[in-house]
Amino acid sequence: MTTESSLQVRASESTTLRRAFDATLKFVTKRKTTLSAVVILVALLFIAAFGPTISPYGANKLNLSDRLQGPNITHLLGTDNFGRDILSRALSGTRITLLLGLSISGFALLLGLPIGMLCGFYDRFGIVVMRVVDAMMAFPAIILALSLMAIFGKPGVLNVIIAVGIVWAPRMVRVVYSSTLSLRENTYVEAARALGMPSLRILVRHISINLLSPVIVQATFTFAFSIMEVAALNFLGVGIPPYIASWGGMMNEGRTYIIRAPWIILFPGLFLATAVLSFNLLGDALRDRLDPKLRRIM
Amino acid sequence: MLTFVARRGLGMLISTLLVISITFILMQLIPGDPAAVMLGSNATPEQIEQLRASWGLDRPMLVQFYRYFVNFLHGNLGQSLFYRRPVLQIIGERAETSTFLGVMALLVVVGVGIPAGVISSLKQDSWTDNALLLVALAGASIPSFWLGLMLMVVVAGKWHLLPSSGFTSVFNTGNLTNLKNLILPALSLGFVNAALVARTARSSMLDVLRADYITTARAKGLAERVVIVKHALRNASIPIITVISFTFASLVSGAVVTENVFALPGVGSLIVQSVLKRDYPVIQGIMMVVAILYVLVNFATDLTYASLDPRIRYH
Repeated sequence: MTTESSLQVRASESTTLRRAFDATLKFVTKRKTTLSAVVILVALLFIAAFGPTISPYGANKLNLSDRLQGPNITHLLGTDNFGRDILSRALSGTRITLLLGLSISGFALLLGLPIGMLCGFYDRFGIVVMRVVDAMMAFPAIILALSLMAIFGKPGVLNVIIAVGIVWAPRMVRVVYSSTLSLRENTYVEAARALGMPSLRILVRHISINLLSPVIVQATFTFAFSIMEVAALNFLGVGIPPYIASWGGMMNEGRTYIIRAPWIILFPGLFLATAVLSFNLLGDALRDRLDPKLRRIM
Repeated sequence: MLTFVARRGLGMLISTLLVISITFILMQLIPGDPAAVMLGSNATPEQIEQLRASWGLDRPMLVQFYRYFVNFLHGNLGQSLFYRRPVLQIIGERAETSTFLGVMALLVVVGVGIPAGVISSLKQDSWTDNALLLVALAGASIPSFWLGLMLMVVVAGKWHLLPSSGFTSVFNTGNLTNLKNLILPALSLGFVNAALVARTARSSMLDVLRADYITTARAKGLAERVVIVKHALRNASIPIITVISFTFASLVSGAVVTENVFALPGVGSLIVQSVLKRDYPVIQGIMMVVAILYVLVNFATDLTYASLDPRIRYH
């Protein structure tokens, strides 16, 4: 390659990057709600990454002489019945919440994408499997998650990921399935078939790429719902082990002192609601931007 | 209409069968031996073997499934390991609280969600509309149990207006005022779901309000109230009903945690206790009863669609 053409390639690469950056910037700043959602998410990511460094105390540091203090200068969000700092614990809970949300969405995607695509592409397979998927969706989310946790036998991070992941996978299958059904009618799929391309290759090369938008949108909503569900499981004492500080677990521990020290429950709940809200807003914005037609199925 | 009902009815039966199979398969995944769990650590191997034989656990899987299915048809969902009583009986005793809670929460969902959505759509882009949308958006992101706890702190703890927990049967005591114990739980559970209904009602009404027949109705000189209620709301109702039927699952999910928060003796707190005690037959029973109820609600929703919009029957 001559120097001139390699320069051209680099220039076009940089324009593509530039365009992608401009488009993202425009998407983020177009609506105030999207902008605030993104700002909150960046802040949460920052807290998840540097939480232990920026938090004033250790998440599990006991200080019995400071127990049940209301918000004050030394403990900005107060302390719990063991004198642990609520702010430090809430910051520490951010990392586990985001990690769980990400793993659960990933799990749902890993199961949902191939199953949904195959169901949408092969009618006979689809009819049978989609019946089972619909039956799975007849179990309300928390009931299925609770039952799976009982079956797994003990609290644990991996068990929570699998239990909540299995709950949300059928919903991912549904979205991928209905999108595949409409994608396979496109002329380019017909053309690929006419050229003798094997079905599996059509699925991977043509269908999967076009599924990107609905899948990203659904994964964002799955993230929001799953962190809410994980919090509910932790609140009920059947989620992750209690020695890991989590928002749901903190609310559970604060129940005994609810009238005397409501801040133990108030602040973790606010962290949770803010995180869920920002993912919901981002999901709405992505859906409207990537594919407004999705409104009907999501 | 009859073929429509028959077709949907068949679908409902298949779903029920699948629900039963899924619960059966899930329960096969439990590590260890249910007979050993039931008899505790002091049991001799002979006792365990005897119980296994009497439950048919030593038979092939398909035979076990057949027995399980026949038992289900006879209304026998097995015995609780903890209470040593029939599962269906225990669920039945808890059903009253959950039903009252569900119905009251649904009243909140419909009573708050639909008017909020309709008002929002009639005053599109106004200050009221924006405020309602904001509340609906926040409402959809708040965990209902957290809202319940906060209501408990303020309404029960600070103002002493309503009781904070517990519930005594209305049927056994004949005392309707017991229902006031369910007001806070129903509000916290209903509000979160009302948010979703309000958003759907708004967008559905906005679509309908632009239609020509609304202009015609107004041009005929009909009162605005009649135009909104008889012409607009009826036509906007299908998406709203869909969302309300979705809220069944979400209400059940929410109720599990809400009953726990407010110490209500319902099916939701029963499943949590059973999970903590590893009382698998009760867990299995609740899973099945709730899922079948869900299938029935879907069936009823389909029938409601068909009666609201005759075109649906021919699809």
